[in-house]
Amino acid sequence: MKKIVSMLLIAAMSIGLMACGGGNNDQGASNDAAVDTTTLKINLASEPDYLDPALNSSVDGGCLAVNSFVGLHTYDAEGTLIPAIASEYSVSEDGTVYTFKLIESKWSNGDALTAKDFVYSWNRVADPATAADYSYLFAIIATNEDGTLKIEAPDDYTFVVTLTNPCPYFLDLTAFPTFFPVHQASVEAANPDGTNPGAWAQEAGFVCNGAYTLESWAHNESMVYVKNENYYDAANVTMDTLEFMLSADDTAIYAAYNSNDLDFIDSVPNDEIAAVINNPDFYIVDQLGTYYIGFNVNDPLFEGKTVEQAAKMRQALSLMMDRSYIAEEIGQTGQVPADAFVPQGMADGNGGIFNTADDEGYYDATTTGLTQAPAAMALLEEAGYTFTDNGDGTYEVSPAISMTYLTNEGTGHEAIAQVLQADFATIGIDMEIKVEEWNVFLDDRKNGNFTIAREGWVADYNDPINMLEIFLSTSGNNDMQLGKEKNSYAPDWTEYDALLAEILTTTDFANRVNLMHQAEDMLMDTWAVIPLYYYNDVYMQKDNVDGVFSTVFGMKYFMYSTKSAE
Amino acid sequence: MLKYTIKRVGLAIVSVLIVSAITFFAMNLIPGGPFNKEKASSPAVQQELERRYNLDKPVPEQYVLYMKNVLHGDWGVSLKSGRDIWTDIQMKFAVSAKLGGSAALVAIIFGIILGSIAALTRNKLPDRMIVFLTTLGTAMPSFVLATLLLLVFCLQLKIIPVWSSSNPNYVLPIIALSIYPMAYITRLTKTSMLDALNQDYIRTAKAKGVPAVWMIFKHALRNALIPVITYVGPMVAYILTGSMVVENIFTIGGLGTSFVTSITNRDYTTIMATTLFLAILMVVANLLTDLAYKLVDPRITFE
Repeated sequence: MKKIVSMLLIAAMSIGLMACGGGNNDQGASNDAAVDTTTLKINLASEPDYLDPALNSSVDGGCLAVNSFVGLHTYDAEGTLIPAIASEYSVSEDGTVYTFKLIESKWSNGDALTAKDFVYSWNRVADPATAADYSYLFAIIATNEDGTLKIEAPDDYTFVVTLTNPCPYFLDLTAFPTFFPVHQASVEAANPDGTNPGAWAQEAGFVCNGAYTLESWAHNESMVYVKNENYYDAANVTMDTLEFMLSADDTAIYAAYNSNDLDFIDSVPNDEIAAVINNPDFYIVDQLGTYYIGFNVNDPLFEGKTVEQAAKMRQALSLMMDRSYIAEEIGQTGQVPADAFVPQGMADGNGGIFNTADDEGYYDATTTGLTQAPAAMALLEEAGYTFTDNGDGTYEVSPAISMTYLTNEGTGHEAIAQVLQADFATIGIDMEIKVEEWNVFLDDRKNGNFTIAREGWVADYNDPINMLEIFLSTSGNNDMQLGKEKNSYAPDWTEYDALLAEILTTTDFANRVNLMHQAEDMLMDTWAVIPLYYYNDVYMQKDNVDGVFSTVFGMKYFMYSTKSAE
Repeated sequence: MLKYTIKRVGLAIVSVLIVSAITFFAMNLIPGGPFNKEKASSPAVQQELERRYNLDKPVPEQYVLYMKNVLHGDWGVSLKSGRDIWTDIQMKFAVSAKLGGSAALVAIIFGIILGSIAALTRNKLPDRMIVFLTTLGTAMPSFVLATLLLLVFCLQLKIIPVWSSSNPNYVLPIIALSIYPMAYITRLTKTSMLDALNQDYIRTAKAKGVPAVWMIFKHALRNALIPVITYVGPMVAYILTGSMVVENIFTIGGLGTSFVTSITNRDYTTIMATTLFLAILMVVANLLTDLAYKLVDPRITFE
């Protein structure tokens, strides 16, 4: 019997050795290998949905787009708009006709890139049949009778765009991925029947005009981009290869960074931030966006109140929100508590900054929280509530106020909900937290199936209209339901819609700034939109890497980076 | 046998059809839709997308259209990425099957060997050790095991990269995938082997002077394998279709993640394709299991 057992054991061990041997051909795991200074290893996120710049609507997809395509303009390391495919441009006197002079450049396959490519590409995105998420950005461009955009290519290297109205951020848009050119022959060859517009960029090897071309793509595992020798600025591209880990798993990403299998990671696990925030490889950069709380203005909670009383109730809750605590303890990366909806640092479209840290704001964001309880209670009393002191620093409210807070899953989102819950409880307001799966959450929030909900918006372009347009009564993002129903307690929103229409058409940019301030005032007066803090963006980058830069929209440019051996 | 097989195949087709109908109607009942985004796209865009993918039609009509396409070999494209579903599934299954197949093989071979050792050394040291390890193996959730492997081999010992674009390493995910089924098979083998060793025919064989090796492999193990086969059939179908946890931790583009993400994305075509694919694999595995019984024990009749 013993003989048999030992025989079995030997069999088991030898199979084990075989199995291990099979995997060990991978000698010299990355840790021991010499540093490859020509390859930057990056994680942005998991597999992007679309690499077609026209169809992409995610920030990580945008990062891939700015590294493999380039438009009329681009950004430099300082965030300044600089010429790319357009060497120069001129604007008509009334500010509506832009004439771009293009440089002679090539697609990655050697074809010449001409103004016709821009005409094709822009019309393609604007065409409803393409169903691009960002097609609405083209609404600023005038249209011909047949519905196509009023854009022309009088010769191969001249591109003329006619806008409906002067637009202060139009040039910024020419550096936005949706406005990048795509290679017509490739697009049409992959999509003969017009049912799958993104088909041409679903595998490696597609034609592009940016700094890198996609050489290989192991779906959900990795992507390898190599330098495009036909890139107009190829001479200045310092990094030869970009390798992307396609993962959204915090543990795996952070482990890969720590084992030196990655040089750059765009996300840091929430519970690691405190440990690494002071390290030299941890970066915090500005981002234009606001984390905010939204109230559904048509919610039955406000039934029986006047418009002003309903607004005071919301203002009271805004006062109770401890923004400093949320920014410091939950945000953790130096987010600035918000005192206005349009994020600090956003351009005003007239050469200035719309809201700065020195501006007064709509309240003192650093002192909101429990200390504001008396003021909050005074506001609620005006709305018909009475308070009795419990003697322990808490109060009871009559008639009782209870509400449900809607959020999606996420450590940070849920933690913020709990802070607000505790803040409200001190003045007797009972808030339940309802955590929903992402897709259900989006549906409920959009349809107004909530009283109070978590919200956030990161700007796509540097102009306050991007933030203010959300609340047009016809907007699909107007979760607060402003102007969507007529009732006695919701603010009348026709004036806001009219004001925005005026902002969109005005030719006087100085006055436009005033109008936008008026719109923000009107929005903040409802207290349906309650800013908590301004977003910033964190990433980690190894000490031997230099020259990666990022814009306030979260786009990362890797082509001018360098990596030293140490 | 032939008649039986035909009957079983017929039943299998009916099962798959039922699965397809239930999945199709159930997924349309969950709130949310494939084109929901944090930044809502315009109604015109939504409309065009719904028209393009027939989502503007009543659900029963959508089902009929969908099944018609599938029966013609057209699985459609992912609503999320526009990628061809059949190409996608083939590619992901190739990855999962390679990993899962190796893991299943490791689990079956080691499970049977260790189970036999445990049965033959009952209550002695090897048995005790095996029982301890298999208990650990069945009790430890795969995400703990996978993270532990990552920590030890990638971060502490640094012998395997966490991620590599040029030569991804499959040793750790295979270990992570195989531990649980291996432990389970070990326990099954041990129990039924002990059972078999106590049978009269083993005593007879011993009395006849049949060599021990012959006795164990031909008489005991063969009879002990029936419960193992029952488990192995569906286990292989599951393991071949991948595991989200293991795929995420080791950055593997397998099929397992698609089962979960397709649902959170409301990517209807991918939900249907992954579910039907698993259903078909499952009925095939069950059919093969039943046929394997016959090979192991000729006394089993199917009529």
